[in-house]
Amino acid sequence: MRRTLTVSVSVLLAAIATATPAFAQEADAGAPIAADAAAPATALDTKTPAPSKVEEAKPDDAKKDDAKKDELPSGRFEFGAYGRVRIASDLRGGTGRTANIVAYGTRIDEDSYAEIELRREDTWKKDIRTRVVTTLAFFPQFFHFTGNATQQIAMRNLYVQGTYGPATLWVGSRMYRGDDIYLLNWWPLDNQNTVGGGAGLKLPKDTMVAFHMGMQRLDNAYQTQVIQAVAPSGFGVVDVLKVDRPRIIETLKLTHFLRNAPDRQVFQNNDKMGLKFIVYGEAHQLAAGTQKDPLTGKDRALPEDSGWLVGAQIGYWTGERDSFAHLFFRHARGIAVYDPLAVPQTFANDRTVSGASETLVALAGNYETGILGVQWGGYLRFFRDGSDAPLSKDKFDEGSLVLRPNFFIGEHFGVAVEGSYQMRRYALSDANGEGVKQGGLTRFGIMPFFSPSGRGSFKRPQLRMLYVITARDGGARSLYAPEDVFSQRKVEHFLGLSAEWWFNSSSYP
Amino acid sequence: MKLRKLFPLLVMMTLAPSACVDLPEDGKPQPMKTWVDDWRDEVIYQVLVDRFADGDVNNDYLVRPGALARYQGGDWKGLQDHLDYIKELGVTTLWISPVIKNVETDADVDAYHGYWAQDLTQTNPHFGDMAQLRSFVRAAHQVGLKVVLDIVTNHMGQVFFYDMNLNGKADIYIGGTGGTSPVTRVSEFDPDWDPTGVQASTSLGLAGRAPVVFIQDPSINRVPPQPGILGTARAYHGFGRILNYDVPAQTMLGDFPGGLKDVATELPEVRATMVDAYTRWAEQVDLDGFRIDTVKHVEHEFWQTFAPAVRQRLAAQGKNKFLMFGEAFDGNDELLGSFTKNNELDSVFYFSQHYQVFRDVFHNAKDAKKQRGTDQIERLWTTRYKNWGAEPMPDGVGIAPRKMPINFMDNHDVARFLFDAKGDVDALRNALTLLSTEEGIPCIYYGTEQDFAGGNDPANREVLWNTGFATSGDTFRHVSKLMRLRKAYPALRRGDTKVIWSSPDVATEEDAGILAYERAGGDAGAGAYALVVLNTNGLKESVTAKDGATMKTAMPGTVMVDVLDPKRPTFTTGADGSLRVSVPAQRGMILVPQAQVVSE
Repeated sequence: MRRTLTVSVSVLLAAIATATPAFAQEADAGAPIAADAAAPATALDTKTPAPSKVEEAKPDDAKKDDAKKDELPSGRFEFGAYGRVRIASDLRGGTGRTANIVAYGTRIDEDSYAEIELRREDTWKKDIRTRVVTTLAFFPQFFHFTGNATQQIAMRNLYVQGTYGPATLWVGSRMYRGDDIYLLNWWPLDNQNTVGGGAGLKLPKDTMVAFHMGMQRLDNAYQTQVIQAVAPSGFGVVDVLKVDRPRIIETLKLTHFLRNAPDRQVFQNNDKMGLKFIVYGEAHQLAAGTQKDPLTGKDRALPEDSGWLVGAQIGYWTGERDSFAHLFFRHARGIAVYDPLAVPQTFANDRTVSGASETLVALAGNYETGILGVQWGGYLRFFRDGSDAPLSKDKFDEGSLVLRPNFFIGEHFGVAVEGSYQMRRYALSDANGEGVKQGGLTRFGIMPFFSPSGRGSFKRPQLRMLYVITARDGGARSLYAPEDVFSQRKVEHFLGLSAEWWFNSSSYP
Repeated sequence: MKLRKLFPLLVMMTLAPSACVDLPEDGKPQPMKTWVDDWRDEVIYQVLVDRFADGDVNNDYLVRPGALARYQGGDWKGLQDHLDYIKELGVTTLWISPVIKNVETDADVDAYHGYWAQDLTQTNPHFGDMAQLRSFVRAAHQVGLKVVLDIVTNHMGQVFFYDMNLNGKADIYIGGTGGTSPVTRVSEFDPDWDPTGVQASTSLGLAGRAPVVFIQDPSINRVPPQPGILGTARAYHGFGRILNYDVPAQTMLGDFPGGLKDVATELPEVRATMVDAYTRWAEQVDLDGFRIDTVKHVEHEFWQTFAPAVRQRLAAQGKNKFLMFGEAFDGNDELLGSFTKNNELDSVFYFSQHYQVFRDVFHNAKDAKKQRGTDQIERLWTTRYKNWGAEPMPDGVGIAPRKMPINFMDNHDVARFLFDAKGDVDALRNALTLLSTEEGIPCIYYGTEQDFAGGNDPANREVLWNTGFATSGDTFRHVSKLMRLRKAYPALRRGDTKVIWSSPDVATEEDAGILAYERAGGDAGAGAYALVVLNTNGLKESVTAKDGATMKTAMPGTVMVDVLDPKRPTFTTGADGSLRVSVPAQRGMILVPQAQVVSE
C-alpha cells in the first residue's frame, strides 16, 4: 500500500512540477511551432480562449517593436513568471495538507510552486525570428517556511526556437505540452519534458503539424547506473556508466482549426468562436542494458522496451470571457503508459512493461456569463501495469470530477466554491480480503478572492482565502500507514491563504 | 442546469470503475468445503514458498539470488503456476511455509522462512496478497491438491529487546564485571535464560526485571506485533533464551534461539487471539489443515483449548476433517505421543522415526559399524502404538493418531537426507519406498525429488527453480511411481501394519538389513493386501530367511507380483504362507496378490 501511495504521489508530484494554469499554456505548448506572443492573432495560436487574448497579453515592448518593425534586426529581453504560494492550517494545530488519493486530484489545496522566465526575442528579417528561453522552477518548501536557505530549483526550459515563415525549429530542454485541465493541474493529452528538438509547419486551411523528438535518462538505476571499477592505471577507482538507457520519445501532433478567417466564414457573424481538432501520437523506445544488482553485485539484464500512445482532443471556445470546453481521449501501451518523469515500479516476469496499458477520457472547461463563471474538469483513467499478475498495486481505475462556480462581485472581487469527488480502485484485495481495495473522498471548498486585473475565472493575479473540507471514506484512510493521522481522520480541514499569478511567460502568455 | 447535466457523469465515474478492476474470481472469498476423505490417502509435500517458484518478480523485494539466508523471490503465484509439476510428482497435499507478515530481516538473515511473525493478520508481501493466496489455494483444490498452512503459536519474531542496562536503547552487547553484576557479556536482543525473568542491572547490582521495549524500525518491519494483546509486554514470558532443552521450565517459558519471543500462551486473551487469528486464515482461504510449529514449547492446556476451538469453529462452517499436526523437535516417542491425546492434535511429526530409522538405519547403509538393524524399526513402530493416542480427536479427522503419524525423512530444520547419507541416492530411494508404504501420512520435503543434498539450515533450503522443474530424474520418477502405487493400492494407505520380518543383522548375515511388513485389512477393506520387503543393507543382497527360518506371510499359496519393479516379477508363497525372496542391496519390493494387481 505504501508503495502504491508513493507511486501516486510521485505522479502527482510530477504533475505539480509541470504545473501551469488553465488556458495560458495553450498558446505555446498547444502550438509548439508558433509560440510567439507577438504573432498575429490569426496565426497558429491553439490557445482555447479567444484569439483576442493574445492581443491583451501583448507586452508594451512588443507594441513598440511593431512600431519599429522596419528597423531590422530588432530584439528585446522579456521577463515572465508563473507562481503560486499557499499557507494553510488543518484547524488542529497542524499545516493544511493535500488529501488527494488519485493521480490527478483537485488542485485547490496544492502546494506552492514558482517559475521565472528570462527570454530573448529577436526579429532578424521580416519572416525570421528567434527566441531563447530560460525558465527556472522553484519547488517547495520555501525559505520563510522552513528557515532553510537551500532551495530545490529545476531548469524547466532552456531552448532556442527559430521561425522562418511557416516553419519553426527548436532545440533544447523544454516542457512541451498542450491543453490542461486547470482544476486538476494536469495535461491529459500531451505533456513532454525532454531534451531534444522539434519542428512545425503551418499547413493550408488553418492546419498545423508538429514533430518532436527528445530523450530522458532519469537518475534511477532503471535508466542510469554508475558503478565504481578499479582504475585501469595507478590507484583507486574510476566511475563507469553501467546503465545508460535513455527513453527516446517521438511525438507527432496534427491540429486543425475551424474558425473564421479572412478567406472563409465558418461561424456566421462570429469571428471569435472556434473549434479545434487534435490528433496526437507518441512512440517510446528504451534500449536493453545490464545492471549491476547492488545487493549481490551480479549483473542483471534489463530488456529493451517500447510503447506507443494515441490520443485526440476536441476543443471549443466562444471567444467571450475565456469560455471553452475540451474533451480528451488517450490510449497508451507499453512504456508509453508511464509518465516520462517516472519509471515503472512493476514489471512482467521478463522485466518489460510491454503489457501495460492506460486508457483515459477527460474533460475541461469554463463558462462565464454576467456575475457567474463555472469551471469544470474530470477524468476517468484505467491503468494497467506491465506485470503478469492479475493482482497488482499498479493496476487500478480512478476518476475525479471537480466543479468550481465563481461568483464575481464587481470587477475585482468574487467568491469561488468548489465541489469534487475522486476515487481509486485497485486490483488488490482489501484488508479484510472481502473485496478490492478502493477509496474515495468528497471535498467542498469556498474561496473568496481579489482579482486586481479584473473579472474572470482566469484573471491573474488572484489573492485568495480558502477553506476546504474533505470527507474521506474508510478505503481512503486505509491507504495511509496506521501511524499517519490520515489513516484515522474521516474529515480534514484546510483553512488558508493563497495567491496565484502568471504573466508574460512563453509557457503562459 | 449545469449541475443536472453533470450528474450523470458523476454517476458514471462512480460506477464505471466497479465494472473494470476487480479481483480474479478465484481470489474472492469462497465457501469452505471439506476436501479430504481420509488423511491417510494424502501425501504431504513440504514447500518453502520463497524457494519453490518465482511467479511474480514484482514482490522480489531485496532478494539476493544465491544467498540462501536471504529472500530468493518465490511466491504463491509461482506455486500456482507449477501445480502441474506437483501433480506429476503425485503428492496430494501442500504444506506451505507461514503466510503471515514477518520481521523482514535480523542480523543479515531474512525471514524468507516465515517463522518471525510480526502480524498474524496480514500476508507476507513477499509472497502475495490475500487474493493471490486464495487464488493459489483454489487452484490447488481444483486439481485435487489440499493445502496445509504452517503456523506458530509459541513465539513471535524478534520484536522487542530487554533493556537490561536501562539506557533505553537496544544494545547488541553489554558487558559487566561478573562480580557485583551478574552480567558478563550478553545481547539485549537475546539474553540467556534467567529463572527470575531477564533482569536489569547496573554497576551497583541487580535492578529488577528488565523492561520489555518494543522496537520501532519500520524499515525492516520490526514494529510492535499484532493483533491486540500481542503488542503488549504482558503477552510474553520474558525469561530469556532457552539454554537447556531438558529443563521443562526453560522449554516452556524461554525465548526461542534467535531472539524469538516466547508468548504467554497460558493467558486466556492470548489463547483467544491465537484461535481467532489462525482460524481466520483457514476461513478466508479454505485451508485444509495446520502444521503447527514448536508444539513442545507450549503447555498442553493450550492445545487442549486451541485445537477443539479451531475444529468446532470450522466445523460449524462446513469444514470438517481439518488436520492439525504438530512439530515437536524431539526423538522422545513418548513426548511426541503426548500431544496426540486429550483432545489435542490429530498427529505429530514422527521425529523418533527420523532419528531411529532414517538416520540409524538408512543413512548408514554401507557402514555396518554404524548401521542399526531393522528390528529397531519394528520396536519403534510397536512403541508408537503404546505412546500415541488410540482414539481420534473429537470433531477431528476421524483417525487414531497412532495410525496416522506424519512420516518424514528430512525437513527444513535438519540436513537433507542425501547430505547425511553422503550422497547415497540408493539409500534415499530405498528410504522413500519405506516412507511411502508405511502406516501414516508421508511427508516429502521439496527438492527431495531433485536429489537436493544441502546440509543444515539454510543450505538445505535450495532454490527449486534452478532445476528447471525437471521431471525426468530417477528420483523424481521413483517418487512418482511410489505415489501411483500408493494411490492404486488402498492397503498401502489404510491397511493395518504387521511386521513379518526384521533383523538385528547389518553385516554379512543372510537376512542382513531385511525389513518386511504387511499392510492389510483395516480401513482398506477385507482382502486388501500388500507386502513390502526392503533390504536396507547397502553392501549385499539379502533374503527373507535366516538359519532355516523363512518369512511367513498371511497369504498362503498366493502368486505375488512385485508392482514396484517395471518387469512385474512374480513370487508364489508356500502353502504355509512362507515366502523367501532375495532383495538386492538397498532395494525394495511391493508385493501384491496377482488378483489384486491393477494398472496404475
